[in-house]
Amino acid sequence: MKKIIITLLTAMAISGCVKKDEYLNNDTKSATAVPASTLFSYAEKQLSDVLATSAYNVNIFRLTAQQWTETTAISESDYDLKLRNVPDGFWNAIYVNVLRNLYEAEKLTQADATLSATQKSNQLAQINILEVYAYAVLVNTFGNIPYTQAVDYTNTTPKYDDASQIYDSLLSRLDDALSKLNTTAPGFNTADLLFNGVNEIASWKKFGNTVKLKVGITLVDVEPAKAKLAVEAAAPNALQSNADNVSFNYLTTTPNTNPLWVDQVQGHLIDYVAGATLVDLLNSLNDPRRPAYYTAIDTNANPQASDVLVYKGGAIGKVNTYNKFSTFSNTIAQPTLPSLLADYSEVEFDLAEAIERGFNVGGTAAQHYTNAITASITYWGGSASDISTYLANPKVAYATATGSYKLKIGTQKYIALYNRGYEAWTEVRRLGLVLPLPPNQTSYLNRFTYPITEQNVNEANYSQAAAAIGGDNIATKLFWDKN
Amino acid sequence: MPGVSVKIKNTSKGTITDGKGDYAIKAATGETLVFSFVGYNTQEIAVNQATINLTLTHNANKLGEVVVVALGLSRNKSELPYSAQTLSGAEVNSNRNTNLLGELSGKIAGAQIKQANDIGGSTNIVLRGPKSLSGSNQPLFVVDGVPIDNSSAIELGGMSNVTQNQRNGKGGYDYGSPGADINPDDIASVTVLKGAASTALYGSRAANGAIIITTKKGSKGLNVVLNTGVLFGSVDKSTFAQYQKEYGAGYGPYYDPNTPGSHFDYTDILGNGTKQLVVPTYDDASYGQKFDPSLLVYDWRSLDPTSPYYHKQTPWVAAKNDPSTFFNHPYTFNNSLFIDGGTDKGNYKIGYTRSDDYGILPNSSIGKNLFNFGGSYRLTDKFTVEASVNYTQTAGKGRGGTGFGGQNGEPMNLLQNFREFWQVNVDVQDLKDAYFRTNTNDNWNVKSPTDLSSAYWDNPYFVQYQNYETDERDRYFGNVSLDYKLFNWLDILGRASEDYYNEFQEQRINVGSVVTPSSYYRLNRTYKENNYDLLLNFNKAITSDISFKGVLGLNARRQNINSISASTNGGLVIPGLFALSNSVNPIDYPIEEVDQKVVTGVFGGVTFGYKDFLFLDGTLRRDQSTTLPDKNNTYYYPSVAGSFVFSSLLKDYTWLSNGKVKLNYAEVGNDAPSHSINEVYDKAANFGSEPLYYVSTVRNNADLKPERTKSFETGLEASFLKNRIGFDFTYYKNNTINQILPVSVSTATGYDGLYVNSGNVQNKGVEVTVNGTPLKSDNFSWNINVNFAKNTNKVLSLYDGVNNYQLAAYKGGVTTNATVGEPYGTLRGTDFIYKNGQPEVDATGHYLFTSNSNNNIGNSNPDWTGGVFNAFRYKNFTLSFLVDFSHGGSIYDVDMVFGLWTGLYPETAGLNDLGNPKRNPLSQGGGVILPGVYANGAPNTTRIDASQNQSAYGYQTAPNKAFVYDASYIKLREAAFTYSVPASFVQKIGAVKAIDVSLNGRNLWIIHKNIPYADPEDGLGAGSAYQGVQLGSYPNVRRYGFNLKFTF
Repeated sequence: MKKIIITLLTAMAISGCVKKDEYLNNDTKSATAVPASTLFSYAEKQLSDVLATSAYNVNIFRLTAQQWTETTAISESDYDLKLRNVPDGFWNAIYVNVLRNLYEAEKLTQADATLSATQKSNQLAQINILEVYAYAVLVNTFGNIPYTQAVDYTNTTPKYDDASQIYDSLLSRLDDALSKLNTTAPGFNTADLLFNGVNEIASWKKFGNTVKLKVGITLVDVEPAKAKLAVEAAAPNALQSNADNVSFNYLTTTPNTNPLWVDQVQGHLIDYVAGATLVDLLNSLNDPRRPAYYTAIDTNANPQASDVLVYKGGAIGKVNTYNKFSTFSNTIAQPTLPSLLADYSEVEFDLAEAIERGFNVGGTAAQHYTNAITASITYWGGSASDISTYLANPKVAYATATGSYKLKIGTQKYIALYNRGYEAWTEVRRLGLVLPLPPNQTSYLNRFTYPITEQNVNEANYSQAAAAIGGDNIATKLFWDKN
Repeated sequence: MPGVSVKIKNTSKGTITDGKGDYAIKAATGETLVFSFVGYNTQEIAVNQATINLTLTHNANKLGEVVVVALGLSRNKSELPYSAQTLSGAEVNSNRNTNLLGELSGKIAGAQIKQANDIGGSTNIVLRGPKSLSGSNQPLFVVDGVPIDNSSAIELGGMSNVTQNQRNGKGGYDYGSPGADINPDDIASVTVLKGAASTALYGSRAANGAIIITTKKGSKGLNVVLNTGVLFGSVDKSTFAQYQKEYGAGYGPYYDPNTPGSHFDYTDILGNGTKQLVVPTYDDASYGQKFDPSLLVYDWRSLDPTSPYYHKQTPWVAAKNDPSTFFNHPYTFNNSLFIDGGTDKGNYKIGYTRSDDYGILPNSSIGKNLFNFGGSYRLTDKFTVEASVNYTQTAGKGRGGTGFGGQNGEPMNLLQNFREFWQVNVDVQDLKDAYFRTNTNDNWNVKSPTDLSSAYWDNPYFVQYQNYETDERDRYFGNVSLDYKLFNWLDILGRASEDYYNEFQEQRINVGSVVTPSSYYRLNRTYKENNYDLLLNFNKAITSDISFKGVLGLNARRQNINSISASTNGGLVIPGLFALSNSVNPIDYPIEEVDQKVVTGVFGGVTFGYKDFLFLDGTLRRDQSTTLPDKNNTYYYPSVAGSFVFSSLLKDYTWLSNGKVKLNYAEVGNDAPSHSINEVYDKAANFGSEPLYYVSTVRNNADLKPERTKSFETGLEASFLKNRIGFDFTYYKNNTINQILPVSVSTATGYDGLYVNSGNVQNKGVEVTVNGTPLKSDNFSWNINVNFAKNTNKVLSLYDGVNNYQLAAYKGGVTTNATVGEPYGTLRGTDFIYKNGQPEVDATGHYLFTSNSNNNIGNSNPDWTGGVFNAFRYKNFTLSFLVDFSHGGSIYDVDMVFGLWTGLYPETAGLNDLGNPKRNPLSQGGGVILPGVYANGAPNTTRIDASQNQSAYGYQTAPNKAFVYDASYIKLREAAFTYSVPASFVQKIGAVKAIDVSLNGRNLWIIHKNIPYADPEDGLGAGSAYQGVQLGSYPNVRRYGFNLKFTF
């Protein structure tokens, strides 16, 4: 009896012990190794999403560019970035969702022994071009940012690098990447969601040169020599037509639809109306892109069938009643609306500016300006007659439009960059367009303040960066902003 | 009374009373009988007659009794070298609350217990201050030696991001604490072990303390106890929004572009070619037109074709029925039947409890069936078998949403709606009528006269009746143990136990809601934990003066959590059909999680006693856990404890009944959460045919070491005058070092957090309990028990080079942090600029505030807490009440941030210093002067506009600090009145042995608090990072109950 009991008890205890052969801490439902291409695809989608979304805790650039404005909760239109922690949202999306995965893809690609040398170098170049793109967006939004010590978990408090030095590095990385692209081999092929393996490397060459052109022209007021070198080298190899436009093409079903559609259409929000700044400008030019940009409304209190519908924008930074103003058009409100990462129109505007800056890129400023407007109206579905009528408008035609070349090019570029809030906001600052200020503000939003989390977890470096750029506030101008 | 131990003093002879409370014992005249029962005063009576009848009195002072400590071992409390506070079953179940956890509050020194106010809401229990920087600070629950899981849904994981985000104040449901599956009616006693020395044998998982529950055991004969109780409740209005009743819908005077100062739209809704005055239904604020019964307007009802007011004007007045009338009177039925019995050989008990809770939100309920069985049988003199099995079935429906809901498919939090965004002209009874008229979302907050879809908020009745959640949990726990007395000095105990549950949660958003797309989400989770123990218990006197007790044991624990969840994609095809197959688009991959863990422990403990006054304990445990890297997966931890019962040496001093000094030191190790070592990639939905993966946003660490808590405790216990008065004083200091936590880092690293060993968090403090019986006679007694605790928490260090760890981030840039040199849980945000201690205003009379958001604006820890319990007995009547209090600590109140901004609260209306309506234009003598000073130190005299939502109140015009309130409170927590029907009367009824009638109340009165319109105890949910922030807070519910207890 005794023995039986003791044996029984011992057996009971032992049955619960760890068996040597089972390693129970493995996460049996998650992958421990994945192809680099899956991370690259993910990063492309995330980069596109963060630029396309209209979520007010991530991307509020349509508001700061005054393409749209808010109805009742007007904090973002009024440059209150804290209420919804907007800088945190945007910063995290790029560092964590985009850059982290690109770095990982780079590491895995480097280590992949099965790739041919040319395909590997193509893939590494693709990764680097996107990294440069993402970093340029961050610099143009915040100023100095962590760069040399970024995306490295072994350094939990990365220092902030000087924005102009980051620009130098971005340009040299672009040169390196462009020199490595080789059209005889594929890159990520169909996993590259921008070109889906069609004319892949040739397209990436154009895309990479366009990024270089954009980075170069951004430097023009601070480092004209570097700008000239980059712009002149990139110009002939950048996008050549709307057919070359670099866009992320969303699908018809969630979660792969355009995030703007998810927020605004599927979400039935009534938080945004058209911004008076852009609407008034379009109205003054009788712009053919209006129906593609905005809805037309009946402002008659007793609507009649004979009423003429008009485009009307809400006051910037003030409370607006949703149904009394235009809002974004049905063209925008599509799940499959592509998100543009670069387009031919902006290339032509850059070339027009380059001519005015005295760079040798061929053609005349007026030609490039006309090409840019033509490309934009065409992209938005305008007809040839729309274009010719519009270009004949003396307020539009390059020869007769008023103001400096910066104002002329800036105004039309501002119009063309509709729904690309971040790009429009950047060009407003770079070309010195003057937009109306919200009632409570004394300065335009020249940059985002740093994320609040940085104040709490990376305080020393944060403080240093804030001092280096001239104060962590929205009025501080970025290094390239000399307007 | 059944089950009372009757012993002859100074002998081993004894018996227990049978089910009728009768007993028989052979004793000689002159011997003394000792009557004892847990929770009652022990009485000694000299034998001088054949029949001795007596009534035991309830006792709050429990020195001298036996307490159950770690691993089910029992110890004499008077010699215990560490503090252990015991509550009797009666103390936790006399209120007939269906949730045991909430019943503990105010009764345990040094325990901070917060129960969310919503039905079935989770309970946050922190003993001796928060120790862990991340994750759970919750103690281990043990029922009859079986660890019982009490993890909140968030801790268990496997949920969609929706729920993970609740930590940061975003929306979700509070599914409560699974510890509520323990049947309060089955509890014989609860022992709370707060220090590491007392829990060292449990190993790592009791690093935050342990709550040891002993269930009832059968006693001789046949005993039947029937309880039937009902509880009613009502919302405590002091903890809910009070509304200004002067101004209605709108954000300001700007609606009609052609009518300056207009608070209405001028629209032709009748189609008669004229314009009508239409309320801006789409705006969720109350900065509109001043109420005027003679003004006739078209409001939301006039837009609803099904409404009797369709196309009719109604007077512009404040609603008769504000949102406080939305709440139902909650009630609970709670019936239980317990039968127990036994013979010399064995005993059993079997119980069934059925409870039905109906909450304050319409269509919310929680029903429970609890079955309890336990028995033991002595096969031979040496061999005893025991088994218990418990089955709990819980079905919940209509729990309320928490946090900032209504976005990204998160459920709506109606309390946020009522407290932050509301039109005070909207009558809740009209909404009720509208919903029940059509069963659709007929709503006040419609987008326009021509678009009757909802703008920001749904009809709250639609939310509760169409977008409700349901949940079910089926749980079994129990154990089988064999005890063999090998020698008279050696027992062998083998025990196998299991805690298993199966959960099913469903969330619905029907077509027609503000939250779009409509959706259906479901989660299935199983949780299983098995424990296998082998214990050798030694008990042998070494010499006549030196006693020895020892324990040697093995424990193996296997835990397996397995879940799968999925939701529809892109909306529901058929409204009201909540099935995955009813998805507009093909559904995304379900989320699967498997979490396995094995910990094996070997441990030993010794207790030496010298005579009856000196005791020394030592324990050592070695654990091996699969969640740590192989090289670091084994860890040891020791404890040593001593007590000196000095009263034993001072027997001549008869006024000293008991006196003891205790001193102990322990170290406890802890392992890592599952899956924190190896790197993995997470899966996103495929893009077309391209698979997408991403790097997990928290970096794991293959070099993790076990974390450690070092704990020191000393104390003095004494009682005097035959235990009429006594006290227990404890000082403790705990340091938790090498904590394993996903430290938040600059996201420029590419990660949200990294798993590291980091930090040293110190908690030190004192706990004092004083109890006494100031008055005592045959017919009358008064017992009082006071407890007090002060804990000082400090973060001594963090990860290398990091001096702040951000725990959670909320709207407006407010964060909860652990900062080196500060207490855990500091609030950071923007602050006023101060001049001579006064908030500074600019020349326009508006507050200046900091541009940075890392100012320390509050601390979520209270300075001290305590409770006072009084019980008065007169003959068969007992009246008792508990007052508890908490002093200090802060709450960032998001409800005030927005509720002031939208003009809901009385502060935003009324008259100004000139006696004019504040909301009048400045030109008409309106406006307010904010309290503050100019840069030169002179008091502010500039009156600013207060006529609309961005002008004087709420988030845009004041820093975060302006919305931080003091969390102190004094509450009348419990009051009970019990009447035991006299035995002489009861006996006439026949079968019934005893009848107790009780009236009780809980959360009756908040005697004092500083936070307006809310309950300072209500939090966002379980988990320490939640403390110190309120958002869409639920009101306190007063409960009144009536219970009848029959003993057969």
